[in-house]
Amino acid sequence: MKAEPKTILRFLLEHYEVIAELFETQANEGIIPHEVLTQIIAKHESDIRSQLLEYKILSPVNDNYEIRTVYYNLIEFILSEFKPMLPETIEKYHTSIAELFRKIKENINGDKVTLSQRLNDLAIEIRSFYEMVERNTQSLLQETRELKANVKKIDYREKIVRASRWIDEYILPLNKILDINHSASVANKLYEISEYSNKYRLNFDDENSRQQFERLYFQLIQVNDNLLRQSKILTNELLPLIERIRTESIILTGWITFLKNPYKRKVPKLLKRKEVSIYSNETFFNASEIFEQFKNEVDVYFEEDVIDSEKWIFDKDHYTKKLKDNLPVENFFKWCSTTLKEDYKKVEIEKFFALTILAFDEDIERDYGKKAEFDKIKINDLTLTVPKLTIEKQNGIS
Amino acid sequence: MEFPNHHRSIVEDLMAGKFLLPQDRTYQVLKEHEQSYTYFFKASFNYELRLTQDYAYLVSEESQEMLSRDICIFIALLSYELDRDGKNFIERIQFSEFEVEEIENYFTNSAYIDLILSNKQLKDTDSRKNFINTLNRRNIIEKTGDNRFIFTSAHKFFMDFACDIVKYENAEKEE
Repeated sequence: MKAEPKTILRFLLEHYEVIAELFETQANEGIIPHEVLTQIIAKHESDIRSQLLEYKILSPVNDNYEIRTVYYNLIEFILSEFKPMLPETIEKYHTSIAELFRKIKENINGDKVTLSQRLNDLAIEIRSFYEMVERNTQSLLQETRELKANVKKIDYREKIVRASRWIDEYILPLNKILDINHSASVANKLYEISEYSNKYRLNFDDENSRQQFERLYFQLIQVNDNLLRQSKILTNELLPLIERIRTESIILTGWITFLKNPYKRKVPKLLKRKEVSIYSNETFFNASEIFEQFKNEVDVYFEEDVIDSEKWIFDKDHYTKKLKDNLPVENFFKWCSTTLKEDYKKVEIEKFFALTILAFDEDIERDYGKKAEFDKIKINDLTLTVPKLTIEKQNGIS
Repeated sequence: MEFPNHHRSIVEDLMAGKFLLPQDRTYQVLKEHEQSYTYFFKASFNYELRLTQDYAYLVSEESQEMLSRDICIFIALLSYELDRDGKNFIERIQFSEFEVEEIENYFTNSAYIDLILSNKQLKDTDSRKNFINTLNRRNIIEKTGDNRFIFTSAHKFFMDFACDIVKYENAEKEE
């Protein structure tokens, strides 16, 4: 590569948007089709195709392209956008770590340079293994939380399928890899290496190798702690969360299916309550039980409240006489009001109405006037609108 | 003949269609004498006793019980509406208190309004109020105030039914 490292880094910085978009394409489709590359470059108006190839960021695959692994991992790491990996991919570390460890054990007294190289390689493999586990746990957690919040609005059945797949294909196998008590697990192998390196960091004739064992030992202490933490995340957080998503989705799918046809589906049986029938054999006893409650009843008397105020009785003769004495009365309703006010301090409306019936007396002659006229009369808080009615004289009296 | 303590309550409650719950003393006694009670109810009334870790209840083969269907509809609608409202419906039903007003809001604004209006026990506020009292009598809910209640562990009986629907449908597809 001719370009200076700083030039490449500056290039990545300047054209970050293009590279991020290319990364997204590859993450989704596995490859960057030729036409997509052209589109992205055109969209950002920067013709950087030749630099992408020159700096070995992209490599051609037939007519298409892909981001080289080293850059892909870098961008993936920067964006923290890891896709969950199948545990089979992680499981391969079991073979490589076990193989290196076997060779170290078998040739512990052999060539020191080879031993040193193997110890180095082992440390690198262990680190890669741990990083992959950590990435996988984090990405699974992120995906699960997204599924829980249902950001992509996927339906309940799909949710069950996804949750089940993650449990069965990712979480449970990953948990197995991290299970230190499982003899075939990577975690168990690491524990074995840790014990071995602990022994040789203290007791080995070559100083350089002793230091390497020491570094390996402390690295493993750290890794084991971290793996334990990852294992706890899986069992305490991820598994219950995803189990809940699965159960929740199953129940809701069940209810939605039920609600489509709620009267046709068989429902679980409950016991029908026995109603107490009046024809039953216990009727007599039930009835007598009720009546027994009244056997010792005590008489209760209610007294009506005595009304203190005296009831007013309309003295028709008295007022008829009074009217006749006052004839002719120009305004009958006004006369009623005035007469009552003379007799009583307080005039109730019923007294007024009682008095007005005198207008219907057959012995008097009424004059309604040629044109309808109205008066307003105030009785207590009430204002009545009444017609003007004149009582001229008594019938038969001239 | 000797009967265990609380025998009368056990029989009366179960025969009244109630769920007995693990926190009830009657449930504990029933559990201790599960075998003899199973025999007792079968021999005396031809009823089957079902006892799980969350509830106990009686079932009879010939029962034409309509309440069960209405309860299923009620819980199904509530679960659906809670989920639509962005709530975790299992946790809400399992652990939280409900206000009758909240239920009213969900039911009056439900997309399943036709179903609700056609159901005698759920069609309006008064019917729903009576229905909630029925659930209380059967120990499916527990009233915590005039207008508040919580679901008891008996609600799992109906949640299990919802799971069975999916299992049954999946099994049918596989056949």
